[in-house]
Amino acid sequence: MSSEVFAGPRETPPQGPPPKPFHLPATTDFSLPNGMRVTIVPYGNVPKVAVRASVAAGAVDESARQVWLSKLNAALMKEGTRTRPAEQVAREAAEMGGQVEIDSGSDFTSVGGVVLSDFGPKFVALLADVLTAPLLPASELPRLQADLVRELSIDKSQPDLLARERFLKTLFPNHPYGRMFPSESELQGYTVADVQTFYRKNFDAARTHLYIAGSLEGDLRRAVEDAFGGWAEGSPGPDLPAHPAKARSLQFIDRPGAEQSNILIGLPVAEPSSPDYIKLDVMDSLLGGSFVSRITSNIREQKGYTYSPFSQIGTRRHLAYWLQSADVTTAVTGPALKEIFYEIDRLRKDPPSAEELKGIQNYLAGIFVLRNTISPDAIIGQLHFVDAQGLDRAYLSTYVEKVMDVKPADVQDMAETYLVPSKMTIVVVGDKAKIADQIAAYEAH
Amino acid sequence: MPITYYKLPNGLRVILSPDSTAPTVVTAVYYRIGFRVEPKDRTGFAHLFEHMMFQGSQNLGKMEFIRLVQQNGGVLNGSTRFDFTNYFELLPSNKLETALWAEADRMKGLAITGENLKNQQDVVINEVKTAVLNQPYGGFPWLWMPQYANSNWYNSHNFYGELKDIEAATLADVQAFFKTYYAPNNAALAIVGDFDPGEATAMIAKYFAAIAPAELPPPPDLSEPRQKEEKTATRKDPLANRPALAFSYHMPPRNSPEYFAMGLLDQMLVQGDDSLLYRELVKKHGFTGEVSGAINELGNMFDYDGPMLWTAALFHDATVQPEQILSAVDTVIESLRAKPVDQSLVDRSITKMRSSLYDTLTQFGGFGRADLLACYALFDDAPSRIDSLESEFRKVTPQLVESTAREYLRRTNRTVLLIDPGTASPDDANGAPEEESK
Repeated sequence: MSSEVFAGPRETPPQGPPPKPFHLPATTDFSLPNGMRVTIVPYGNVPKVAVRASVAAGAVDESARQVWLSKLNAALMKEGTRTRPAEQVAREAAEMGGQVEIDSGSDFTSVGGVVLSDFGPKFVALLADVLTAPLLPASELPRLQADLVRELSIDKSQPDLLARERFLKTLFPNHPYGRMFPSESELQGYTVADVQTFYRKNFDAARTHLYIAGSLEGDLRRAVEDAFGGWAEGSPGPDLPAHPAKARSLQFIDRPGAEQSNILIGLPVAEPSSPDYIKLDVMDSLLGGSFVSRITSNIREQKGYTYSPFSQIGTRRHLAYWLQSADVTTAVTGPALKEIFYEIDRLRKDPPSAEELKGIQNYLAGIFVLRNTISPDAIIGQLHFVDAQGLDRAYLSTYVEKVMDVKPADVQDMAETYLVPSKMTIVVVGDKAKIADQIAAYEAH
Repeated sequence: MPITYYKLPNGLRVILSPDSTAPTVVTAVYYRIGFRVEPKDRTGFAHLFEHMMFQGSQNLGKMEFIRLVQQNGGVLNGSTRFDFTNYFELLPSNKLETALWAEADRMKGLAITGENLKNQQDVVINEVKTAVLNQPYGGFPWLWMPQYANSNWYNSHNFYGELKDIEAATLADVQAFFKTYYAPNNAALAIVGDFDPGEATAMIAKYFAAIAPAELPPPPDLSEPRQKEEKTATRKDPLANRPALAFSYHMPPRNSPEYFAMGLLDQMLVQGDDSLLYRELVKKHGFTGEVSGAINELGNMFDYDGPMLWTAALFHDATVQPEQILSAVDTVIESLRAKPVDQSLVDRSITKMRSSLYDTLTQFGGFGRADLLACYALFDDAPSRIDSLESEFRKVTPQLVESTAREYLRRTNRTVLLIDPGTASPDDANGAPEEESK
């Protein structure tokens, strides 16, 4: 039954003229004598500038008994410098229209912010002070530990984070990437000496790349040289290969009464420097990584099992993994798993039509332009990905061409080679009493 | 940046704002129907209806609208807010005509089936579960606070929808809602990005001019009475394991001098780690690690048209009582009500506001600019207001900040929402308690 009847033949959408040429924003790259790398990207006409230092220091530098020490270090770095109390750092940044943001991740700690362009050089000096001369005061440690204990507790009440923790733990046994949460007592046991040692070992010029992007005012290069020129050189961090697990595993976390099951399915794939990586990117977008992808069309738009199914290729330094996630209504947990594997198997057996692939290629070419123009931080994100993975910057300038070169058989080949169900980790967080029977079939393979 | 504003004979408001920084273009259609105004026995319907706009029109079947945008290299979304529902595409600039054709196609009418409706009812119910019912702190405070702080049904009902109401929706409801509200004289079309305004004007006439206007119902009375007593609500959240606290004050009327002063008070009180409540609650007392806050938690202080709340929220430990936190909040608030603040604090707030305004306008490739242009066209018939915002904030004096705080940051204008967590041991991942069915 149609709600309204339209007469006549259907119109074809207008195609518009050919696309305008797109050129990536040009960068200026240089290194200071102490080894710190710098990239400056003039972009746009809005009077704001993003300044971010990316330091190769993060969870990967923690021992098994130091989980979240990098996070505690990031929090303590906000508590003032040898010459500026924390309140002064906050006020000075606010007077420039921004604030100092410090975030620690798996491989990197980012220290930066976005300010009004007039203050670019001044903000560079403020960031340099925070990054190179933090006070790391013992007086603030108990408060910050209490904040992290609270954050940990709240994180652990969230089903999607519980699923992610189990997934990473299974994928990366005996590696920092697999340690998402500390215990509360570990967290409370860290001393200010632990933090200061972590900072001293991991923060120096050789491990840092400073990015500046946006509408640029003043002599930023000079400001960078003046502010960071005296920082200790240090040495690049150690490489700690992760050897992710490639074995079938069904992990289950019981959450009695849960309205939905949180499903994660994934496994390691080729790293970003591999010639297969861009082909994998295309395969992922077609299978589950975009709105019209096969898995989303199936379990959302046909079956209504879920609201936001989504696949992606996650990366760490020199490795990548494919991951499908979906929060599905409890009663259809088994059927949702069945459909996801059906779509994986279908793509492993048959190449997509040229038309379906063409749609995905156009999509990736279009969002490549968006990713490189949408904001100064987005531009920094693209450059940082390339630099962090040790890729040549030509990765960006040749990306669209490589996407367009992918053939239907390549997509099938990627799925067949990499998406091997017998090597996948499956995590389900849900109501065991209601779904144990539904998921039992996925235990072995 | 230049702005062209005109209306088609059928009443469609058109705002064109070219900017050639990137070879992309935002096409945004705003309908003046938000979730405040939905049928009283169909909570959540405005949002469910938004989903139906992707389910098929005369020339685009189910999934075809989304596929059309995606295969032309773009992204799209729709959202339902207090006073509008929007649909927008961000595309390579050569695809503007494709977007206009597609938006006009669904403004002309929907072609959906009972099966499509059932499917989207299931999707929306999953959306509510993912966002609210299956999450600790799911509706805190954005969904729950308006239900306690407001007293007029339009402002205080569950706008995500009771599941039974979402399930009860029929195709006839969908068709009636479309006919009532989805007309060109109840809509604005904003285009921002790399395009030629002359060409766009011709394309808009070609695709939209023939769409018939509708007779619009009179707007309902959205007004809230002046609050005279402080209100406190406690909500049990069995999925949560730490308490949380939020407080809200009713905002001054939109576009009044006091409204702009509240914009600066928001900057002074909660935006950034130089803010007064951050310093008091985080640094001085260590009650929490972060204080979040906003005027209009589902957008910004510019894109609504009706009663609104200024809200701040934080998570804390069970060892700290809500009274201790509120007493510290009062110390700060009362200091603002007692005497004018330093000019330097006002100046810093204006700098932060100006910086934040640039972020708002450039958000998502120019979508933020389209959002404000469409709202000022729909609500005030004056999209050029976007250019006077900075000067309105600059007019705010320390005296106006004080008088605004006196009237609007009164305790009797405040609602406090407390989250009482469940009893699960915080470290016991497997011990999450039974959830109440809602």
